[in-house]
Parts: sequence; C-alpha cells; structure tokens
Amino acid sequence: MTSYFIRRLLAMIPVFFVVSGVVFLIVHMVPGDPVDNMMSVGASANQRAEIIARYGLDRSLIEQYLTWLNNIVHGDLGTAIVMRRPVADLIMSNLGHSLALGGWALMFSAVAGLLAGTIAASFQDRWIDHGLMGVSLLGSTVPTFWLGLLMIMLFAVELGWVPVSGARSWTSLILPVITVGLGGMALVARVTRISMVEIAREDFVMLLHAKGLSRWTIQLRHILRHALIPVVTILSLRIGLIVGGSVTVEYVFARPGLGSLLIRALAQRDYPLIQGCLLFLAIAVMLGTLLGDLLQAAMDPRQREDSAQ
Amino acid sequence: MNLGKGKLYGPLFALSFICAGGLLSTAALADTEATFVLPSSQAGATSLDPIRSSLVTLADGLIYDRLVDQDANQTFHPHLATRWETTADGMSWTFHLREGVTFHDGEPFNAQTIAWWIPKFAGTENAFLVSAIDKVEVVDDHTVHFVMKHPDTNLLYNLSSGFMGVPSPKAYDAEGTDYGVKVAVGTGPYKLESIAIGSEAVLVRNPDYTWGGPLSANKGPAKIDKLTLREIADSSTAFLEFKTGGVDLVIDVPSDILAQYKTLDNATIKSQSGFGIYYMPINTTVEPFTDLKVRKATALAINQKEIVDRLFGGKGRAAHNFLIASLPESKVDPTLNISYDPAQAKALLDEAGWKMGSDGIRVKNGKALSVTLVTQSDTEFKRLTEVIQAQLKAVGINAKISVFDSSSIRAEYKKGTQQLAVRSYGWNNADILDWFFSAERLGYPNVSMWKDAKAEALRTKALTGSKTQEERAANFLAYHEYVLSQYPFAPIYEPEQSMVFDKERLVLPAKIDGPQFTAQTVLDISIKE
Repeated sequence: MTSYFIRRLLAMIPVFFVVSGVVFLIVHMVPGDPVDNMMSVGASANQRAEIIARYGLDRSLIEQYLTWLNNIVHGDLGTAIVMRRPVADLIMSNLGHSLALGGWALMFSAVAGLLAGTIAASFQDRWIDHGLMGVSLLGSTVPTFWLGLLMIMLFAVELGWVPVSGARSWTSLILPVITVGLGGMALVARVTRISMVEIAREDFVMLLHAKGLSRWTIQLRHILRHALIPVVTILSLRIGLIVGGSVTVEYVFARPGLGSLLIRALAQRDYPLIQGCLLFLAIAVMLGTLLGDLLQAAMDPRQREDSAQ
Repeated sequence: MNLGKGKLYGPLFALSFICAGGLLSTAALADTEATFVLPSSQAGATSLDPIRSSLVTLADGLIYDRLVDQDANQTFHPHLATRWETTADGMSWTFHLREGVTFHDGEPFNAQTIAWWIPKFAGTENAFLVSAIDKVEVVDDHTVHFVMKHPDTNLLYNLSSGFMGVPSPKAYDAEGTDYGVKVAVGTGPYKLESIAIGSEAVLVRNPDYTWGGPLSANKGPAKIDKLTLREIADSSTAFLEFKTGGVDLVIDVPSDILAQYKTLDNATIKSQSGFGIYYMPINTTVEPFTDLKVRKATALAINQKEIVDRLFGGKGRAAHNFLIASLPESKVDPTLNISYDPAQAKALLDEAGWKMGSDGIRVKNGKALSVTLVTQSDTEFKRLTEVIQAQLKAVGINAKISVFDSSSIRAEYKKGTQQLAVRSYGWNNADILDWFFSAERLGYPNVSMWKDAKAEALRTKALTGSKTQEERAANFLAYHEYVLSQYPFAPIYEPEQSMVFDKERLVLPAKIDGPQFTAQTVLDISIKE
C-alpha cells in the first residue's frame, strides 16, 4: 500500500508542471490586462508603463513563466497586482470558508445520497423509489443560485430559523450546505441505487438469502459495502469541487470563499492571484482523486492485488 | 443537600429578581448597534491601508479623517485642516491644522504627521495624488507648508479623497506591509474592532472624537456604538436581509430592486444626485464617423427621456453633456447641450449623403449604414444597448451589438476598430474629460480615438495651465464646450444614487451632504428611541 501511495504521489509532480504551464498560458492569452483595472482617473499617462515595468509584464512569456515557477518551488506564490496583498494570504483567508462549506456539503451529499439510494434500491420501482429519484433530480437540475434564494425566502425570511446570509456563525452555514449538497446528492443516490440493484443479482446474495439472513441485514451489511465502491469514486472526483465549485452559492449567501476570490481575480485579470488560485484548485483535485484511489484500494482488496502485480 | 420544596422557592424568587434586575440594567447600558451594506463598487477591498490600497471603502472613511471634505455641490470644507492659503502662482500652499486631534492609539496629530505622511506615497500606485508636492515644511506644530513642483489646482480634491485619510505614523511603521489587514489606526469617529476580508468590517465608536467637520451637525462622538459594514454582492440577498431586520441600511440600491423595497412598511428610500454618466463614445477615426455630421446625427438620435422613463423607472435624469449636473463645469452654453432631435438627425444624415433605403437602413455609394455597437456583459448595459440599437434604427442606422466582459472590452477598445460603444463612468471631477478624451490615451480610455489639435491645447491648458481653482473651472468649461461641439460621444443618462434605511430603527439627517454617502453623514445617524 505504501509503495502504491508513494508512486502515486511522485506521479503528481509531472502533472503539476504541465498544469502550471497550461494555467499560465491560458491566463495570459485571454485579452485584457490588470493594469487598466488599477489605474484611477488622474493617473499620469506614463503610469501604465511604470506599472508594467514594476510587475515585469513587459518581459517575454517564457521568462515570466520561469520566474513564477521558480518562486512557486521556493514557496512564494507572489503578490496580487490589483489586490496588492500576498497571494498566499488571500488564499489562506478564504480557504477556511471554502473548506467548511465544501466539506460539509460533500458530507451531506454523501450521507443523503447513500440514504436515498439505499431506500430507493430497497423499495425498487415503488412510489418511494420514484419519489426519491425525482427529488434528487430536481436538486441537481435546478440552478443553485435560484435554489439558494428560494431556501433563503422559505427558511430565513418566512420561518426565520436561520440567518439570511453571511459567515458569522455556524447557523449561517446550514442553508448554503444544503443548497450545494442537494446538487451533489443526485448522482450519489442514483449510483448507489443502481449498484445495489445490480449487486443484489449476484450469486453470493442468493447464498445469503438461502442462509436465512434478514433482508435488511443483507442490504446494509453486505450489499451496501460493495455498492460503496463506485460511490467513493464519484465523491473523490467531487473533492476538487469543494475548494472552488460553489461560486454562485457564495455570491447569493454573501460568503467569502476561494470561488468568489477567483472570479474577482479573473474579472480584474490579476495574474498572480489567478495563477495561484487555479494551481491550488488543480492540486486539490489531484489530491482528491489520490485520496479516492487510496480509499478504494483500502476498501477493495482486488484493487490492491491488481496494482501489486 | 436536601432542601425542602418550600424552602427552595424563596431563594429562587430572589435569584430571579436579581437576574431580571441585572438584565434590565444591562439592557439600558446595551450598545446601540447598526449594520450597513456597502455598495458593490466598494466590495473586495483587501486592506484598510489608504496609502497603498487600490480601493477605499466607507470603513476607511470612518476610521480616518481627511484634511478637507467635499459636500454635495463638490465644494471643499475644512476638517483636519482648519484653513489654508495659497500664493497667486500656486507654487506654495499653507495649511493650518486643527488642534487637539489624537489618533486612536493616543498619538497626537500635528504638523510632523503631515511631514511623515506625504512622502509615504512615493513608490505606490497612488503617488500621483501628491506628485505635485515637492516638499513639506513644518512651520510650527499646527502649520505645514507645501512647496510645489508646479501648480496643482486639483490639490484640494485629492486631499478630500478616501485615499488621503491620515493614518497614525507609529502604527503604520510598526506594522509595515501588514498594516491595514488586522490593524488600522486613524483619527476618525470609529475604531477598527475586527475585519473579515470579503465579508464584513466591525467598527466601534471612538469616544474621544470631538472634531467632526462642518458637514456634520454632530461634532462629537458618533451616536452608534457598534457599526458593522457588510459586503453583500447580490441585491436580492441584501433585500432579504433588510426585510428580516438583518441589516438596517443599504447604501447603494440598483433601480430595478427599488420597487421591492417600496413594498416594505419600514423602508425609507433616500436619493442623492448622480455620481456618473452613461454615454456612447463614437470612434472618430473610422468610417462613417469621420464625418462630423454623421456623429452629430448619431448623438441626436438618442432619446434620453425614453430611456429614463422606460428603463430606469423615471429615476435619475437625462444626461446632456459629459459631466454630472452638480459640477460647475457642466454648466455649458445651453445650445451645446445634446438632446434628442430625430428630425435634425435625419436631415444631417441626408446632408452627409446617406439616403434612406427601402429596408429602413440608409445607403451611400452602395454601402449600407451598418455599424458595430460594443457593450459590457452586465445586464443593465445589455438592456440599455438594445434600446439604443432600436433608437438608431429609427433614424436609419443599423447597429450590430457585440458583448464583452469588462476586462476583455478594454483590450478590444485598444484595437481601435470599434465604431460605437455604450459605457459609463463614476467620477465627480471635470478631469474626467481629460481621462476619456486625451490624445495620449488612445483606444482606452479614449474610446473615441479622438485626436484634435485644438482640443489638446484646451485640455493641456485646463489640466496643467491653470493657477487657481476658478481658472481651472473656466478652462475645463471651455474644453468641455469644444468637446461637445465635435460630437465624439453621445450622452445618455445620469443615474441618481439611491439608498434605503429602516425608519423604525434609524434616524437620518434630512440631507446627505457629500458627493456620495460618506462618513460625515454617518456621524449624524442615530438609533430611534
């Protein structure tokens, strides 16, 4: 297992370099630059040239890329041009909020999705199955922006159970988590349901029935464990989304987060900040998939044997 | 210990009375609190360091005081500077400073502060604010002398800007580049308690404040103990927060959501005159707009009143020149103001050789009058541009709309191939004319690509050739009139600034005396008893 883990970690390094190159290229190829976002009325006509020189924006792309990469390797993410704070500080101050929202939302979609999928599979083709699948489909197709506002209007305004927006207390996390979690729940529920239904057809399940175990013991203790494997794959892919994927929810609920930071940086073409955020997101996705693979290997002996050969 | 039931009641009653009494007394001493929502233009500030920041907010305005404050008529009043003199050639200024002013950390505010402060701008992106000052001389504890490199008729305006709030030298130097992130010390009516970047800033009243400026009726400490300034990007969320009592005042309300606020009993809407203009720059270097008549016809085709009434619900006013109405330089010769005149527009196009075709589009030498109309991707711009497209069609101009996001659009403008565009700016100083029409900045900000020798002469005279403010105003007026006569743009709309507050919680002064909602107004806001 350890050798597998180490091999996977080492494999991340070349991917990291490729991703950094792609990120850098894309950001600099898009039209627009940060300088115009910084100049205010009254600035002298040569201030443009001064700012460009100061941030090295007049050097060749290769040179800028290598400088940036060199700094990254030494742990310096640079300073945001328009926002004028170190990129690392900006990311750190927003990371906590994103992790809280994304982490809890992932847990919600995992738990709610597994629950819905198990119940649906157990009562297959009855009304509860169709109902649950219908609700989860709604949750994933309705735009999160709209869903968020609806939830605010119902739970915060009409019922007054939770605050409307902000990031002050843990209660203000409830509605955003449910809004994001409902979106992720659908896929988990469907995959759980379908894999439980398929596994229920396996020979070993028939043997368990023949042995006389109760239906619920078979469902929960035996089938669910097997059904978890594809679910873990899906969830590990969503881990990367935790960090940057809830931009519209952050906007509606007035919460700070990496998603909003990235969007603002993009709008202002703040190159160091965009590069830093995107690199961060890429690493989060890579680590997420690694974690998912490790979990799978831990859960499924067949994976370990395959990779050991 | 086993107290009998009866024996427990006595102490219990006593305890509950004591608690109730305690609660009552703490209620009487409870802090008055209020929550304001910052305008979207002030969202995303990453520090409270006015010298190095690219964005200043109301929080900066409340933590720091300025030497000079501006009122709603764009005139200047003393604040930390009680009076000032300048020589006739404008090469020297003397400022007399208010006595008895201290920073939140107890340090005194005096001439040494100013001598430390002005050089701090060197090397920052805000250095242009003080670039005309050669050196600062300390005459005595409360008098400073600025020796100028050249006359700067815009000095008072810059001194009243949010970027020129005065920070405490001791705290500023102690924190270094981290100043403004956790620590922000000024002389203002509020101290910084905490700040969550991107979310909210919590300010507490400065109890030692006794130097409110002439634009506030209240010269002493603010009436609200604790003020929370929140950033809420979505106007619907801000509305719902207001409805549930989560916020008490929303500083900048977009016109399309005002109707929602009117349904609430406790909402009072207050308006201030505009801070910017929507306009349509016309590219003077590209056919057919190289012809003055075609430019004039295009400008006269815009029906400003229809736009105000239909798109903006009658709020705000039609714009007829390039400056906001409260600026003296906007009072141009009335014949030069640009207003809707479709008959004259059609006549001019006919004169220029563009004859009306059978499909409603004008034709000249076999070419149809088809132009590009560039705009930003925000909803209000798209809607406005569609209306303008229809108004241009009515006089026979076929406009094709292209939409870009706000950063790509600048790169697009620099190519110089656009013909028409719909833009806006927010600024309350006549030097915006220089910013958008200077031949030194072709493409962007000079989207009209306008290069005219006479305009350049008038512009340079207004910007750097004036010695006093009166001269400057007169020169900018002359420049403004010349700009209007050449039609490098069409004025559209001057929005008014609307704010909403909860009248059951707050009492506001009758008039908001500032170009925008600023600290001097906050000083006069009290909680309703």
